Amino acid sequence: MIWRIPHPEFRTPNGEARRNFLKLAAALIADYFLPRRLLARGSSVKPAYRAIVVTFGGGARYQDTFAPEGWVNIPHLVNDLLPQAIFYPSARNEGLTGHFNSSAALLTGNWQFVDSFGSEPPATPTFFEYLRKERHLPVEETWVIATNKSFSLIGGSHGRDYGVPYAANVILPKQLLLEAIQSAVGSPQGPGVEDRESFLKTMLSALDEGYENYGWQVYDSGRKLSQELRQSLAQSLLDYFNDPSVPSSGDELTFFMTKEIMNRFAPSLMLVNFWDIDIAHYGSYSLYLQAIRRTDRLVWELWQYAQSLPAYRDRTLMIVIPEVGRDGDIHGNGFANHRSGDDSCRRVWLLALGAGVPKGTASERPVHHIDVAPTVAQLLGFKMPGCDGKPLVELAI
Amino acid sequence: MNLYRGLSGEALALVRQHQDVVDRLPRTFLVNTLTEIEKWPTLFDPEQAYFRALFAELAALDASDFRQVFGSLADFEARTGCDRVKGDGPEVLQSRLLNHLQRQGQYAAWRREIDALFQRLEPRVEARLNTDRAPRLVVILYEEGIAIERETLWKRFRSLGTRVPLDLAGAQARDPFVRALFTGRPPGDGSGATLFEVLSQKSGFTPLSAWILEAGDSLCSLREQAGHSDCATGLSYARLRAYRERLAEAIYTKVTSGGVRGPQELAAWMKTLELDEGGKPVHPDPKVAAFMRDILLSGSGTLIINNTFVEWGAVQALRRVQPQLVVARFGVRDKMKPFSSLLLFSKPRPTDQIPILQDPLGSFIDVELLSYYIWLNAEEVPANRQNTLYLLLADGVDEMLAVLPASRQLPAPRRATLMDVAATMAHRLGVQLPGSPGKPIWDV
Repeated sequence: MIWRIPHPEFRTPNGEARRNFLKLAAALIADYFLPRRLLARGSSVKPAYRAIVVTFGGGARYQDTFAPEGWVNIPHLVNDLLPQAIFYPSARNEGLTGHFNSSAALLTGNWQFVDSFGSEPPATPTFFEYLRKERHLPVEETWVIATNKSFSLIGGSHGRDYGVPYAANVILPKQLLLEAIQSAVGSPQGPGVEDRESFLKTMLSALDEGYENYGWQVYDSGRKLSQELRQSLAQSLLDYFNDPSVPSSGDELTFFMTKEIMNRFAPSLMLVNFWDIDIAHYGSYSLYLQAIRRTDRLVWELWQYAQSLPAYRDRTLMIVIPEVGRDGDIHGNGFANHRSGDDSCRRVWLLALGAGVPKGTASERPVHHIDVAPTVAQLLGFKMPGCDGKPLVELAI
Repeated sequence: MNLYRGLSGEALALVRQHQDVVDRLPRTFLVNTLTEIEKWPTLFDPEQAYFRALFAELAALDASDFRQVFGSLADFEARTGCDRVKGDGPEVLQSRLLNHLQRQGQYAAWRREIDALFQRLEPRVEARLNTDRAPRLVVILYEEGIAIERETLWKRFRSLGTRVPLDLAGAQARDPFVRALFTGRPPGDGSGATLFEVLSQKSGFTPLSAWILEAGDSLCSLREQAGHSDCATGLSYARLRAYRERLAEAIYTKVTSGGVRGPQELAAWMKTLELDEGGKPVHPDPKVAAFMRDILLSGSGTLIINNTFVEWGAVQALRRVQPQLVVARFGVRDKMKPFSSLLLFSKPRPTDQIPILQDPLGSFIDVELLSYYIWLNAEEVPANRQNTLYLLLADGVDEMLAVLPASRQLPAPRRATLMDVAATMAHRLGVQLPGSPGKPIWDV
């Protein structure tokens, strides 16, 4: 059943300033990732459409977002995007309610049950691999841009006949900055920092967090930044940090990196993982709500940016979905966690807009994370055999 | 595989005494129980009493009852192949069992099995516990500086509590407010024993009977003014700064040394982390010292955010120690430093200070929910359930919210003084504050 959505009025915050450093950093990184056309054997056929899957990573409760009392936290989704979108209020995560497995379910169309902290890739092929293999597409056609540092292996599976040769580029903007800082501080020829050790510690603590626990790792996917890039980044970073208008969160970095990648490569398929919301694990409800509001703004700006680019305008499907909800209050520390498996932590929502989407509609039909990948596959025109999810039939694709 | 080698003393004796039933327990239940009782020397009295009652109840189950309580979990474990999982010691086996269940997509189903099992088992264990039902009191305070919005203050307790107008009578500021509240003396009267001192004289009261968890240190200071620092157990986030920094340093060193492969491995290492304070223990009571370490290392955010420390510390004290008095005093949280602010100087020196900004508005949002979570968790504990008076106050705010035991609704007085509130607290705990003119507001 499809129903129309009321359209409440909300104020919208101001847009944010440009950050030149990030453009520079993104450009340098892009240069590194660019020459990867070796796999584009045969006739490469770029799909007519593009797809961007965006996660409210970390997880947001329905009551803090699309329930009426949560609308104040997502003014852009409710006010600006909902009228252009189809909205599924009854989306559910029926898998493991951790970050890696939830996002991997979006990419594979199968519930995933691998290590929660990202030490191994998804168990079944991702839509990146199916797309690239079927269409003979180069790696720059598929990207994961993630704030969550444990996502380094999420771009490709161990799937037989798939895996690394067909995986997506995965870029972790915060980690790239961290690497550059370590290099800058560790080098005698680096930028002038008198108390290097103290500085490095401070930066590590700021950039290297895993909100859920200590000790999150970046697992080696076999690709390293070049020395040249590290040095370039290091010099740029100090200039960047001296700019009072620089971004204040990992998701801002992810957003800017996403824009740069779209601008330079116009990839057919991307996963954008915002993750600031996971600060909820620190037990601060206000910081969690702030992060939801920031994600709401970034999603809106990302959609606007896509519409400003000819490569994306009128040919892009964007799907927005939280990785998970978070626990209900009845469990005692509700919003701070997301592993109880209760309804509050499984219930999410899904918003789709752009190509093939009937505008301003909603469907109460229950949908799931695993339905995202086959929907994208249908739009972009490739097959996903073995996928358990079903395409969103309400979309005209 | 020797699951019992980490046990000693009474914990080992308990297992040996009930070996027959222990051998029949489903593995996931067994290893979780063993990992808990391995910590026996650091368990508080109510926790030890719980495990004694648990083993006694297990031993008393006949075959039919045992099947009724554990049958479903045992069947689940057989279906999912838990018996094939091996591990050297309960912690390793526990970790591997959970990993095994996760990979099979059975983790959520297992949690449901465990929840259902405890719903069957807990009433039986509680019936054996002879729970101490002495009247309980939980006081939740907001320190000055939090940007309180009076229209929404304590809104989550609206349907539960009674609002009491207060006449602060010159005790608007933090120190006079706190002193009047805990001595029952008029503002300006610097004399008088604190509630903590008076309670410490009561028969059966120990320092573990009263707990203070606070973001700042005004209550710990008050407790110490009369030279009775041991009259209550006090944990101040502000005072623990040096200890927190040493813990953070130890974690940093461990992580950057490359010696850990992930959060689970680091968590296991942190359980073994013992830090002293210049050769002395961080607290004279080793159980409290272990409690402090656990609070700071096992609660996400407690090492970083003062109010998270207060809430998690209060919740854990209520669950584990079951004191008669818990005072949780929230403060103003610092703003999280955006990483852009970390390099305000092109050449930072050790003497350069990165300014710390406070977040009074965010703090109010935080403490409103954290207060509610304290209440929710407290009511989960049998000793507290429908047996606890909750008082919520804020420095300089001329009203109080009271949640009476069993959420009874009693008429609020036209106006009460802080001395009356103090007398109410003392009355609740069966003592009187000497020289206090206050009168209990209710006889609860």
